[in-house]
Amino acid sequence: MPNSIAGKGATEADELALLARVRRGDREAFCELYQRYQPRLYGYLRRQLSDPGTVEEVLDDVMLVVWKDARKFRGDAAVSSWIFGIAYRKAMTAMRTERRYQAPLDRSANADAVAAVSSQHDEWIPVALMHLSPDHRQVVELTYFSGFSYQEIAEIVGCPVNTVKTRMFHARRRLRVLLPALAGQAKEQDRERA
Amino acid sequence: MNAPETVSHEQAAGLLPWLVNDSLVDKEKETVLEHAQSCVICRRDLDDLEQLRDSIMSASSLKLIPAADMRNVNARIDALIDRQNRGPLLIARLREAFESPWRIAFVAQSVLLVVLAGLLLWPRPRDAEYTTLTQSQYLPPGIYVRVVFSPELTQFELIELLGSLELTIVDGPSNRGVYTLGVAKRMSVEDRDKLIMDLQEDPKVLFAQPVNRGATQ
Repeated sequence: MPNSIAGKGATEADELALLARVRRGDREAFCELYQRYQPRLYGYLRRQLSDPGTVEEVLDDVMLVVWKDARKFRGDAAVSSWIFGIAYRKAMTAMRTERRYQAPLDRSANADAVAAVSSQHDEWIPVALMHLSPDHRQVVELTYFSGFSYQEIAEIVGCPVNTVKTRMFHARRRLRVLLPALAGQAKEQDRERA
Repeated sequence: MNAPETVSHEQAAGLLPWLVNDSLVDKEKETVLEHAQSCVICRRDLDDLEQLRDSIMSASSLKLIPAADMRNVNARIDALIDRQNRGPLLIARLREAFESPWRIAFVAQSVLLVVLAGLLLWPRPRDAEYTTLTQSQYLPPGIYVRVVFSPELTQFELIELLGSLELTIVDGPSNRGVYTLGVAKRMSVEDRDKLIMDLQEDPKVLFAQPVNRGATQ
């Protein structure tokens, strides 16, 4: 989560300096940038993609693009928005591939997940998010998991800020219906088990 | 201190998720909070969103993140660098090779010699067989003669002549008056030559020659 503006500014300056070094072919700087982003990117990609192997592959793809395209970064957006923008596009491509090959599997996996959901509220969240459209899910993910502002999300996703707000509005409305439904279903299952 | 700008309920409600994730800039944060204090719906939404955020945060903390393993990405970068270096190396070698004007002249001369030798030794295609403009390329196997009749020959005489020699018109007349005639019956080369002679002796025939198809029946 972003902290103070001053702290955020310091991080940004630091990351800009790192990226400038990466642009000059500095492997050490690249390694530092990788270490910084790996947990955030892994978490983000893991929530989008079901196969952990694919997640690691996509993460490497993202960082390879960072290495190759560092000179293309013009500083219009924050470094984190730029990197997450690459991750977003890679994730969307990988998701399409996953859906193409595993669509029936995924749906059954979702159904199983819903059926197996416990009464723990925290566990309904990933299940509920799976029921959102990819566009809506991305906005929720990038807001709550990754802590981006709506302007940054617009840069990452490549859409106007109003679209981000609209997607969030629809995602919230859907979650408002989904979460109690999942909670009710879970309670019923708990009762049956008891 | 300036009073914060007011926002509509829709605007404030739309920004609540980012108030919760603490990413609004100070001015926005101030105006949204100001609105939320006086709006029951937004206050309730804010509570819901905070609960959602907490749930999401704790759900995300459940996932184990593996330690960073850069071996794969490093190998790919090494390969990339290697590929990038190989290109300029080749260019540098070529540049080195063409540094001296004598070398350039030698290479140009060698290339020219190779091209000339190639042109001389290249197998040329056989000349096409001589064909006249009127010769049909699509005649079926058989014996054919090309004939030019006198302009005085009437249609009746032509039919009579063709009937007596058992000839049929296969092609023509061309714009030069050439007919290609087919022989109805099988005949030897001698018979064909006799037929040609008969035609040539006819005063109404100006020209008669066999069509050379390379084989006779």
